Amino acid sequence: MPIVETKGLTRVYGEGSNAVTALDAVDLAVEPGEFVAVMGPSGCGKSTLLNLIGGLDAPTSGSVVIDGRDIAHMSEAEVTALRRRRIGFVFQFFNLIPVLDAAENVALPLVLDGVKAAEAKATAIEWLARVGLQDLAGRKPDELSGGQQQRVAIARALVTDPALILADEPTGNLDSRSSDDIARLLKEVSVTWGRAILMVTHDPRIAAHADRIVFMRDGRVVDDTRIAGAQEARDAMEKVGLL
Amino acid sequence: MSAQVTLAIRYLKGRRLRTALTTLAIVFGVMLLFGLNGIIPAMVQSLQSSMIAASGQTDLVVTSASTGLFDAAVADRVGTVEGVEAATPVLRVPVALAPGRYPVGMLSIIGVDPATAGRVRPYPVAEGRFLSEEDAKQDLEGGEATKRPAVVLPASTASALGLEVGDTLEVPSARGVARLTVAGVLKMPTAPGNEEAYMALPVAQALLGSGDRVSEVDATVKAGVDRAEVTRAVQRALGSAYRIGGVEPDSSLFASIKLGGFIINMFGVFAIVMAGFIILNTFRTVVAERRHDIGMLRAIGASRHTIFGMFLTESLVQGVLGTALGIIAGWWVAKLAMAGVGVISSDLLHLSIGRPVFTPGTWVLAIGMGVGVTVLAALVPARAAASITPLEAMRPQAGDRYEKAATHRAWWGVAVIVLAVAGLLSRDTTLVGASSVVFLVGLALVTPALVRPVTDAFGRAIEAVFRREGGLAKANLTRNAGRAAVTASAMMVSVAVIIALLGTFTSVFDGFIGYIDKSMGADFLAVPSNLLLSTGTVGADAALVTAVKSTEGVGDVATLRVGRAAMGGTGLQVIGIDPVAYSKVASFEYSEGSSEAALARLGTDGAIMVNGIFAAQQGLRPGDTLRLETPAGPRNYTVVAVATDYLNAKLATAYVSQAELEREFGVTTDVAIMADARPGADRQAVRAALARTVRDYPQFALYDTREWRDLQVATFRQVYGAMYVMLFVLAVPSLLALLNTLAIGVLARTREIGMLRAIGSTRVQVRRMVIAESLLLASLGTALGMLSGVWLGYSMVDAMNAVGFKMPYYFPYDGLAIALVIGVVFGVLAALVPARQATKLDVVAALRYE
Ligand SMILES: Nc1ncnc2c1ncn2[C@@H]1O[C@H](COP(=O)(O)OP(=O)(O)O)[C@@H](O)[C@H]1O
Ligand SMILES: [Mg+2]
Repeated sequence: MPIVETKGLTRVYGEGSNAVTALDAVDLAVEPGEFVAVMGPSGCGKSTLLNLIGGLDAPTSGSVVIDGRDIAHMSEAEVTALRRRRIGFVFQFFNLIPVLDAAENVALPLVLDGVKAAEAKATAIEWLARVGLQDLAGRKPDELSGGQQQRVAIARALVTDPALILADEPTGNLDSRSSDDIARLLKEVSVTWGRAILMVTHDPRIAAHADRIVFMRDGRVVDDTRIAGAQEARDAMEKVGLL
Repeated sequence: MSAQVTLAIRYLKGRRLRTALTTLAIVFGVMLLFGLNGIIPAMVQSLQSSMIAASGQTDLVVTSASTGLFDAAVADRVGTVEGVEAATPVLRVPVALAPGRYPVGMLSIIGVDPATAGRVRPYPVAEGRFLSEEDAKQDLEGGEATKRPAVVLPASTASALGLEVGDTLEVPSARGVARLTVAGVLKMPTAPGNEEAYMALPVAQALLGSGDRVSEVDATVKAGVDRAEVTRAVQRALGSAYRIGGVEPDSSLFASIKLGGFIINMFGVFAIVMAGFIILNTFRTVVAERRHDIGMLRAIGASRHTIFGMFLTESLVQGVLGTALGIIAGWWVAKLAMAGVGVISSDLLHLSIGRPVFTPGTWVLAIGMGVGVTVLAALVPARAAASITPLEAMRPQAGDRYEKAATHRAWWGVAVIVLAVAGLLSRDTTLVGASSVVFLVGLALVTPALVRPVTDAFGRAIEAVFRREGGLAKANLTRNAGRAAVTASAMMVSVAVIIALLGTFTSVFDGFIGYIDKSMGADFLAVPSNLLLSTGTVGADAALVTAVKSTEGVGDVATLRVGRAAMGGTGLQVIGIDPVAYSKVASFEYSEGSSEAALARLGTDGAIMVNGIFAAQQGLRPGDTLRLETPAGPRNYTVVAVATDYLNAKLATAYVSQAELEREFGVTTDVAIMADARPGADRQAVRAALARTVRDYPQFALYDTREWRDLQVATFRQVYGAMYVMLFVLAVPSLLALLNTLAIGVLARTREIGMLRAIGSTRVQVRRMVIAESLLLASLGTALGMLSGVWLGYSMVDAMNAVGFKMPYYFPYDGLAIALVIGVVFGVLAALVPARQATKLDVVAALRYE
């Protein structure tokens, strides 16, 4: 069973003559442990797709089924709890709370879920170690580099053992070296820890780490290709005219 | 610790300056509320203990419903009631001792019947002896020490006065200074600061010039008999002219103190509400600044409830911290103020006030207001924060939504203002008073919409001074019109209250000077040094007036006498004057519908005049009839005039002829004497002669009226000084509000300021920009405050007139001038710290600032 499945997912912003169809009848399924990259030109609806899947926004029509349950039938509190336990988010900006240190930021979803502070902190430090930041646990976000901040954000996304990680341009703000590090880390997340990942990116080198690339244009999925390795990724991109 | 508490504390620590500023505002308000409330109960308590004697040891206490003195024979009637074991008459009157004579200012003279007193209450002797029936026969005039009447003192009183058995106690009396021999010292407890002197009843009556009258009858109930039953039996036997139970304190004096307490409370509440404004502003900004954090928290699974709880926890931490510090500060304020008040009250009221008293009510009020207002002020921003969806939070903020809401609210404001104007035009005192507050609310609603046009208007002036920076400052201010509006409203309220109070003080001052000039027309005055006619003053019997009249160079003489009565359960003082003599030396301040001609009618049967306060309290007008409980029972009077004299302007008072006062109240002693010099007499010589005449009556202080008037004016000016301090105190929160808003503004624009500096603005230009912004904001608040202050002031004077203090209204030119100065000074002052912050900014760091 897929961890997440969308059927005819549509989102229209605005009304009447101002209406913009950001997402147009998208069908997409992601299997457990799968690493999926979403690519496409700016404004084609990638962020909208992720937001709908994460329950941050409600679709105009169509459905999002997570763990076999349609989130449209859940209450707001249930969706919030779902985000807390089953989904991890990584954004391009504003990932961390500036007044908390790295370990506290990572521990936050657990603490929000009612886990005892000491226990949450111990788990957080384990995850920081896994993303290679064990020595920087006590640093505040403004004392970390952009790449380090994203690692902290990924550790935080993983700390509750979620089935799905939603990452919206996680490397959009990083230099190429840090970007590669983050991509390798995400790959490890899917391979070693078996999490499904849905990642939006503009960067072909980053997308090349994925198992599958979904191409979008004008709110529609135009191509959905399994890849293995950088060469296949390049071929797929050429096919849709992205390169 | 739960997530919201950790986050709340971290965020608070993360913005130290703003946390400190907003907490300071709460500290300040709670300090006022708590501290000032500690003083009033302390005053009431010491007043109570000095007036209500320790009469708890007897089963029954009978007093007159008039609260005045009554016939001693009542004791016999009480004694014959079924179930009463014994009854004894008691005359208990607090007396002010000659200033400086003893370390104690006030002494309760207690006359008891030596034959029966011991059967009602024990008088255990520590040294010497108790009173005997022989003592009742002693004459007060007894010149030699051996023949002097006896006095018996509780041990604490003896040591307070520094007297031992065999020593002489000097007390002012109706016939001059009385000398009594200390015959014994009693082993009995007295309330602290409540000194007592026991003497035979006839001696006390002679000393006080009270004839055969007493203030209470104490009785005990037979063993095994139901006390409530006996109480009812005594009440039936005596009728409604008597009360059974505790001794009633002077309710009108308490009312004055309570009113003072209420006004003081308003200051505290005002300061806290201002703190609420400041907190509201801060939290609104904080929520805006933290949109992205909120969105992220929501995305990773924080519920709305958690976000709401986080902000409420922040406010709660601040509220609790601020309140705790405020209570500590308030305790010190009370302690320091008590030292100051103590000096005044022991001088003026002969009251010694102990330590501040904090009642449970004060604690509840301070904590409730301090914590409550903080949390309440954070509630709206917290709800707004909780309702932000994660998606909204990730997008840049939409700006024009606020403007639309502001215009919408402004129309409500206009409606409210129209309502207020209607209230003003109605000329009804209550409506005029209410309208001034309604007007403030209306203005506060309109302010957000006014920010742009008014800053445009003032902006021109500012741009003339700050040519380059003015335009930027203006733009910055209108960019966050909501924040500017709340700050301007806070400033407006402060300025309005300051202008109104200043105007009211001036009117009160002039009103009282008017009273003095009207009613204190005589050349010389002999008045009690404590200025309260009905408390603590031993009147003088006819001998003194006779002596004054026959003093060389003295012309017309008039006196005031005082009795007590009650109307509808509240006490009042009844002043006796001789209409003919009084009209020769002095006059009254007559209220509407009353005139000089009424004074002549006071001599006629059943005529009474009432003062402004009493008339307002009871809704009395000339021609009305009223029913007073007098010591001789209920009596009906017809009001011939509403008029006020200076000495009695502050308490509910009625005036009757001295003949009536003698007939119904049994009062024949004078408590104030006014005398004119004969035309052509040497004023200095007359004064010296009069001084010799009154020397034997230390309860009176002799003044030349002109000199006395100067003294009163000087006292007023002192009170004025204290009021100016209060006004400054009122202004402080608005300064904090300005400072807070500017600090927020600078912080929010860190990046921009960095950019300005990067493209070549000098530090001086950045500083001038912040100062210009501050001045703009301050002038907006001041302008609105001036407008509403004039209105508020008018309605306050109107209200004072309505409650019986006749006073003129003046347009508050001085208040407006002071407001202008405050506006400019605060504008610059508030800008200093944020401007420094802005100029000290590290350009590179600022550009990186998120
Ligand atoms: N809240 C919104 N209101 C109106 N239009 C929106 C909103 N959010 C996104 N859009 C529009 O929807 C389309 C898809 O946006 P988005 O999903 O953010 O694209 P991207 O692929 O760049 O992430 C764009 O045309 C965008 O302008
Ligand atoms: Mg996007």
